[in-house]
Amino acid sequence: MDVDGGSTSSDSTRVRSIPIHSGQCKAFLSQFKQQSLPACKPVLTPAWVIATLLLLGFVFIPIGLVTLHASRGVLEIVDRYDADCVPEEFKGNKASYIKDTSVPKNCTRILKVHKYMKAPIYIYYQLDNYYQNHRRYVKSRSDQQLLHGLKYNDTSSCKPEESNNGLPVVPCGLIAWSLFNDTYTFIRGTAELRVNRKNIAWKSDRDHKFGKHVYPFNFQNGTLIGGGKLDPNIPLGDQEDLIVWMRTSALPSFRKIYGRIEEDLEADDVIVVHLMNNYNTYSFGGKKKLVISTSSWLGGRNDFLGVAYIFVGSSAIILSLVFLLLHVKNPRPYGDTAYLSWNRKGISS
Amino acid sequence: MTRDVSLTGRSSTTRTVRLGRVQPQAPSHRTIYCNDREANFPIRFKGNSISTTKYNFFTFLPKGLFEQFRRVANCYFLFISILSMTPISPVNPVTNVVPLSLVLLVSLIKEAFEDWKRFQNDMVINNGPVEVLQDQKWETVPWKKLQVGDIVRVKQDGFFPADLLFLASTNPDGVCYIETANLDGETNLKIRKALERTWDYSTPEKAAEFKGEVQCEQPNNSLYTFTGNLIIQKQTLPLSPNQLLLRGCSLRNTEYIVGAVIFTGHETKVMMNSMNVPSKRSTLERKLDKLILTLFGSLFLMCLIGAIASGIFINRKYHYLGLDEGAPTEFNPSNRFGVAALTLFTLITLYSTIIPISLYVSIEMIKFIQCTQFINKDLHMYHAETNTAALARTSNLNEELGQVEYIFSDKTGTLTRNLMEFFKCSIGGEVYGFGITEIEQGGAERNGIQVQVHKSVSAVHEKGFNFDDSRLMRGAWRNEPDPDTCKEFFRCLAICHTVLPEGDESPEKITYQAASPDEAALVTAAKNFGFFFYRRTPTMIYVRESHVEKMGKILDVAYEILNVLEFNSTRKRQSVVCRYPDGRLVLYCKGADTVIYERLADGNDDLKKITRGHLEQFGSAGLRTLCLAYRDLSPEMYESWNEKFIQAKSSLRDRENKLDEVAELIEKELILIGSTAIEDKLQEGVPGCIQTLSRAGIKIWVLTGDKMETAINIAYACNLINNEMKQFIISSETDAIREVENRGDQVEIACFIKEEVKKELKRCLEEAQHCLSTVSGPKLALVIDGKCLMYALDPSLRVMLLNLSLNCSSVVCCRVSPLQKAQVTSLVKKGARKITLSIGDGANDVSMIQAAHIGVGISGLEGMQAVMASDFAIAQFRYLADLLLVHGRWSYLRICKVITYFFYKNLTFTLTQFWFTFHTGFSGQRFYDDWFQSLYNVIFTALPVIMVGLFDKDVSASLSKKYPELYKEGIRNVFFKWRVVGTWACFSVYQSLIFYHFVTTSSAGGKNSSGRIFGLWDVSTMAFTCVVITVNLRLLMICNSITRWHYISVGGSILAWFIFIFVYSIFRENVFFVIYVLMSTFYFYITILLVPIVALLGDFIYQGVQRWFFPYDYQIVQEIHRHEPDDNSRAGLLEIENQLTPHEERSYAIAQLPREISKHTGFAFDSPGYESFFAAQLGIYAPQKPWDVARRASVRSRPKTSKKN
Repeated sequence: MDVDGGSTSSDSTRVRSIPIHSGQCKAFLSQFKQQSLPACKPVLTPAWVIATLLLLGFVFIPIGLVTLHASRGVLEIVDRYDADCVPEEFKGNKASYIKDTSVPKNCTRILKVHKYMKAPIYIYYQLDNYYQNHRRYVKSRSDQQLLHGLKYNDTSSCKPEESNNGLPVVPCGLIAWSLFNDTYTFIRGTAELRVNRKNIAWKSDRDHKFGKHVYPFNFQNGTLIGGGKLDPNIPLGDQEDLIVWMRTSALPSFRKIYGRIEEDLEADDVIVVHLMNNYNTYSFGGKKKLVISTSSWLGGRNDFLGVAYIFVGSSAIILSLVFLLLHVKNPRPYGDTAYLSWNRKGISS
Repeated sequence: MTRDVSLTGRSSTTRTVRLGRVQPQAPSHRTIYCNDREANFPIRFKGNSISTTKYNFFTFLPKGLFEQFRRVANCYFLFISILSMTPISPVNPVTNVVPLSLVLLVSLIKEAFEDWKRFQNDMVINNGPVEVLQDQKWETVPWKKLQVGDIVRVKQDGFFPADLLFLASTNPDGVCYIETANLDGETNLKIRKALERTWDYSTPEKAAEFKGEVQCEQPNNSLYTFTGNLIIQKQTLPLSPNQLLLRGCSLRNTEYIVGAVIFTGHETKVMMNSMNVPSKRSTLERKLDKLILTLFGSLFLMCLIGAIASGIFINRKYHYLGLDEGAPTEFNPSNRFGVAALTLFTLITLYSTIIPISLYVSIEMIKFIQCTQFINKDLHMYHAETNTAALARTSNLNEELGQVEYIFSDKTGTLTRNLMEFFKCSIGGEVYGFGITEIEQGGAERNGIQVQVHKSVSAVHEKGFNFDDSRLMRGAWRNEPDPDTCKEFFRCLAICHTVLPEGDESPEKITYQAASPDEAALVTAAKNFGFFFYRRTPTMIYVRESHVEKMGKILDVAYEILNVLEFNSTRKRQSVVCRYPDGRLVLYCKGADTVIYERLADGNDDLKKITRGHLEQFGSAGLRTLCLAYRDLSPEMYESWNEKFIQAKSSLRDRENKLDEVAELIEKELILIGSTAIEDKLQEGVPGCIQTLSRAGIKIWVLTGDKMETAINIAYACNLINNEMKQFIISSETDAIREVENRGDQVEIACFIKEEVKKELKRCLEEAQHCLSTVSGPKLALVIDGKCLMYALDPSLRVMLLNLSLNCSSVVCCRVSPLQKAQVTSLVKKGARKITLSIGDGANDVSMIQAAHIGVGISGLEGMQAVMASDFAIAQFRYLADLLLVHGRWSYLRICKVITYFFYKNLTFTLTQFWFTFHTGFSGQRFYDDWFQSLYNVIFTALPVIMVGLFDKDVSASLSKKYPELYKEGIRNVFFKWRVVGTWACFSVYQSLIFYHFVTTSSAGGKNSSGRIFGLWDVSTMAFTCVVITVNLRLLMICNSITRWHYISVGGSILAWFIFIFVYSIFRENVFFVIYVLMSTFYFYITILLVPIVALLGDFIYQGVQRWFFPYDYQIVQEIHRHEPDDNSRAGLLEIENQLTPHEERSYAIAQLPREISKHTGFAFDSPGYESFFAAQLGIYAPQKPWDVARRASVRSRPKTSKKN
C-alpha cells in the first residue's frame, strides 16, 4: 500500500505564541499538535485486493497440504464399546447394569489393524456428551490440596465432595471423585501387548501441580462411588491417570490418553481388548470409545486445520480471479471526480 | 442566612431578578462597623478567601466516587462487581472489579488534576496582595486575610479584592473609573462616585479616623443593585450602586482609591453570580446511549436464552455433577425455575464485557486531547494580530462539530469587524467623503464595472476614521456654503456622547473608551475635523477647537454638561444638554433617522428631503447612519424641564419610563444638522469562508439586530445571497401594515400582521415548492424581520416557517431580539432536529449561543460574555472553516470509529463466551481466565483505539477544505448509522464464530507427537490469543493513516498479552504453564496463522468491495491525491480560495444582471448594555463562571505587578 511520509508543517512564519521548538521531541510535539505526524496512508485498490488474495492463496494452500498430509498420515482405530458391552439382559436398563456391583463388568473387544502402525501407538478413551466443562464440575477441585495434600485444609471449593465421615478427602472435588475407571488390556495373538501408562500427562502438571508427597486419603469412601479409586500408597504426582483426568476438557466430547503401546502393529493384526466396563455413562446417555492411534508431528488425526487452510486458500484464489475478471471487464477509474457524490447528483443538488 | 444582626430590619422590598430566578432577600440587614475588627468579630462574616474547588482532601474520595457513580455505565459495572462477589458468579470478582477500579482511577485522577488546577488558581487569587489600613499605615496583606469592615487601598489598574464601599479617591470630586470587563464584558469605563461626606479619607492618617457603620442588604447576586445606609457621626447617608466597587473590576484612570470592605469572598456579587453552565451532550453521545441500550437488550436476550436452556439442561442423570438433593439452588434439578433465574444472573456477570467499560473514559480522554492539543494549538486557527488561539471550552462537543448543518451567525463583530470607521457624512445637504465601501465595490464588480480606488493625498486613515475629503479637513470647512451648520455638526460630534478619554491629552496619544465603537468613531472624527475632545469631568466636557474663529487658532473650550439623556433601543437616540461658556444652552441629539425626523421642527423641507436621500445612499452602500440635530434652549424653559427631569431621576419606581417620558418633552422641535455614515468593515476572509461552508452543505442564517436593508447588504457582501437566488422577503414595513399601525389599535395591529405573515408564508411556501419541483430551480433565500418573526414563531405558523426556511439555502433574520435569536435557533434544533451552531461575539448572542447545539464565541474586541457562554471560542469567523471542516470532521470520524470499534471488540469477545456456553450445559462456565477477561478491555485492547481517536485522518487538512463537500458525510451521519453498526455486528458474529469453532474443533485429539491432550484452559488461551491478535490487527485495517504510534501501540498490545501470559501462567493454577504447553506444539503456530487471517479476511473483502463499488467520497478524494505528499502549508489554502469552478463562473455571469437598488438608510447603533439587560430578563443570561473571572483577573494582574517591581 502506498506509504507517503507526511511533510512536516511549514507554518513557522505564523508562529508567535505557539512556538515550534527545535529538537526531535519538540518537532514531534509540534507535529502532534498540528496533526501532521508522518503516516502511511493505505488505499485498498482492487490491485491490492487481488494481489493480497492471490498471495494468501499461494501461501495457504501449501501449508494446508502439509498439514493435511501430516494429519492423514495418522492411523486411528476407533471402537465404541459402551453399548455392546452391556449384557443382553440389561439392554433395557443399562443404568442398573452399571450400578449392580454383582454383575461382572468385563468385556472383550476385537480390533483389526488395517495398516501398519508404527510405535508409539497411543491409546485414548473418548467420552461423548460428558460435560467436564460444566461450571459445577470445573470448579470442584482444590489445586492447593493437590499440591500440598492434607496440609491444606481449605477445601470449600471442592463441594460437594470435600469431606467424608468428617474427614477431608484427598484429592477432593467432583473431578477427582468421578475419575474414569475403565481399564484395558491388549492381547495380540497370544502375547499381551505391554501398555506403558507412564509419562502420559504434561510434564508441568506432573511436576508442579500434583504433589510428590501427597497421598490419596479417605478417597472414594463415601456411600456413593463416583468412579475410580486410587492406590493410597502412590503419591498424586505419580498417579498419571488422575492427572490426565483432572486437566478438564474444553468440550463435552473429548479424548483422554490412557497409555502407550510401544510395539509396532502390523497390518491385519487382530487385537483382543479385555476391558473392565466400570464407568457409568449410561445414566446420562454418554458414549465411550476406545481409540488406538499413531501420532505425527502435529499430534493426532485432525483434518480440520489442513482442510481449513486449503479451503481458505483456494477460495482466496477463486475470489481473486473473480475480482480480476471484474476489474478487467468493468474497471472503476480510481480517483475519478465523477464518482464524488456531489458530482454524481449533478450541480443542482 | 444566619447572620441576624442587632437591627430588627424589615424585609427589603427590592426584588432582584437575575439569571431567570428570583433570589429572595434575606429578611435582615447586615451591619458592618468599618475599621473596627473587634466590633465585627461577633457577627462572624465570611473571610475573603475563595474556593472554587469541588473537593477538598477529605471529601475527594466520597464525593468524587459519588460523581462517578452518577454515570449509568459505572453503576452497571458496580452492580456486576457486586454480583461477581456472590457464589452464583462464574468469574472471580477481579474480572469486574479491576476494570472498574482502573476506570474509576483514571476518572478520579482526571478530576483531581482539574481540581488541583482550580485550587492553584484559587491560591493565586487568595494570595494576591492588597493594602489594608493597620495602625495608620497601609500594610500589604494577601487577599484572603481581608475581613469585612477593613479599609483598603487599591491602586490604578489593580483589581478590587472584595466588594468595597467607595470612600475616597485621588481624583477630584471623589470619582473613580472602573472597568467591568470581567463582570459583563463591557470594556468601556464606568464612573463611580463616593459620597461627599467621605471624600477626604484618602490618607492613612485620616482613614484611620473613619468609623462608620454600614447597614446594607445581605449578600445577593444582583450586580446592578445595592441598597444601604452609611451611618457616620450619627448622620445617615443612603448608599447606592454608585458607591459600590465590585470584586473583579479594576480601577482605571485613578491613582488609588480607598474603600471599606462590605462583602467578602463567596459573598461578593460576582461570586454569588456563579452558576454552572449546563453541560451539553453531543448528539453522537446520545445515539451512543441508544447503542448501549441495544447492547443491554442483546445482553439480556443472550442471558435469557442461556438461562432457560440451563433450566432445561440440568438433570440428576449427570451423576458426576453431584446433583443430589443437597445441591445448591443454582444447580438443583428439582427447582428448574430457580436454576434458570440464578443462571440468568450468572450469565449477566459472565457476559458483562459486552458493555465496553472503558469506552466512556477512553472517549473522554480522546476528546480532551483533541481539544487541548489539537484545537487549542492549531496554527491555522491562531490569530497573530490579537495573539489569540482557538479555545475549546468544553470537550464534550468535538464530534458534534463534524455534523453541523445550520449555522446561526450574528452579524456585527462576527461577520463584520465591529471596527467602525467614520466614512462619509452629510452636512447641511451636502455629502462629504469620496470613499467607496467594500460593499459598493462588490456590487459594482458584480455589475461588471471595474472600480478604480484612488486614494487622494488628503485621505486620512486612523482607527475609527477613514475619510477622504479635503473640503472638511484643516479648517477648510469654513469655506463651505454653510460653515455654521458644519460647526454645529462637529460640536455635536464632540459633545453629544458618553465617551471617556484615556491617556495623554494630545490628539495622537489619546484613546477613547466608548460603549460602542460607533461613538468612538464619531469622537475621533470630531478630533480630525479640529474639535478635539480631550477631557471629561462629571459635569464638564473639554474640547480643543481649532479653526473656529480664524484659521489655525486653537481654543480650549469647556462645555458644561447639564443633562445626558442616554441611548437605549426604544429611544434610539441620545441627547446632551450643554451650556456654552457664553451661556448658550443647546441640546444636541443624535439618533436613528426615523426618530430624529419625527422630532424635527417644521420647515426646511428641502434639507430634510436631501438628507433623507443621502441616508438612503449611505444605507445602500452598507454604511451605518446616524442623524444629528440640535436645539437651542431658553434658560427658563430648561429650568422648568430640568425640575421634571430631576424628579424623574429620583423617582424610585419605573424610573426608566419616566426618564424617557421627560426626555420626550425636550427632544422636540429639533433642527437637522446632517448625518454621519460609518463603515462597518467585514471580517477578513468571511465571504470565502461562507462559500466554503455552504459548499459543505451547511446552511448559514444571519440573525441580526440590524435593519433589513443593512442585513441584506451584508448578506450580499458575504456571498450569502446572490441574484441567482430567489428571495422571499417577509417584512413588516409594508404600506398595509403601516396603515393599520397608524390607527394605533394594538389588538388590530397584532391580528392584521399575523394574517399578513400567514398569507406571505403561504405564498412563499407555495412558490418555494414550485421552485424545488423544477429540476434546476434557483436556490432560495428568505429575509424576515423581527416583527414578522414574532408572529411567524407563533405555534400555529411555526411549522410553515420551518418548512419554508428549511428549503432556503440562506435565511436572514433582521431586527431580531436576543430572545428571538434563541427561538429561531431552537426552532431548527428542536423542530427540524438538525444540528445547529451559533456564532456570535456579543452579550446579545449569549442566548443564541446557549440555545444551539454548539455555541461559538468570537474572542475579539468586545467583551468576553459570548466567549464565556460558548463551547468554542475562535478569533475570527473564517476559522470556522477549520474548526468544522477539519477538526469537526476528523473528530466525528474518529469518535465514530472509536465507538464502533469498541462495540465490535467487546461484542466479539463476549460472543465467543456465548458460543462456549452452548457447550457447557448452559452452566455459565467461563471460557477465559478471570484476568484475561478483566485485562482485555483495559490493557490488551485499550491503547490502539486511542491512537485511532487521536491520529486517524482520512484526508489532510488542506484537502478537507478543498473538498468541503466531504463534510456532508458527517451531516448525513454516514459513519454512525444503524447500518454501520449492523455491519460491525455481523463481523463480530462472524469472527467470534471463527474464533470459537476453529480453535475448539482443531484442538480435539492429541496435540503433539507424544499424543498429549489439551484441557479447557489450553484451548481458551489459544482462543484468547487469536482474539487479541485479530482485534488489534482489525484496528489497523480501519485506519486511514497509520503512524508509527499505531504500530507501536498495536504491537505493544499484542506483546503485552504475551508477556502477561508468560508471567501469569507460571503463578496461576488453572492456566498453569498453558502458554508453554501451547507453544511447544506446532498446532499453536499453525492455528495462530490461520484463525486471525480467516477472521480478518471477511473484513478485507468487505472493505475492498465497498471501496470498489460503493466508495465513500473521502475514499475518492484519497485516491485523487494518493501520490501527493501531505501538504499543510498555507500556500495551498490560498490557491483554493481563488479558484473558480464553472459553477461559480456561471453564478457570476447571472449576478451581472441588474438588480433593484434597495432604499434604506442604514441606521445602526450599538448599545450592548441594553441588549445584555434584555437577554438577562428573559432568563437566558449566562454569567461566566466566577473562577474564570477570577482567573483572568489574576492572569492580567501579574504582568502589571511585575512591571512595577
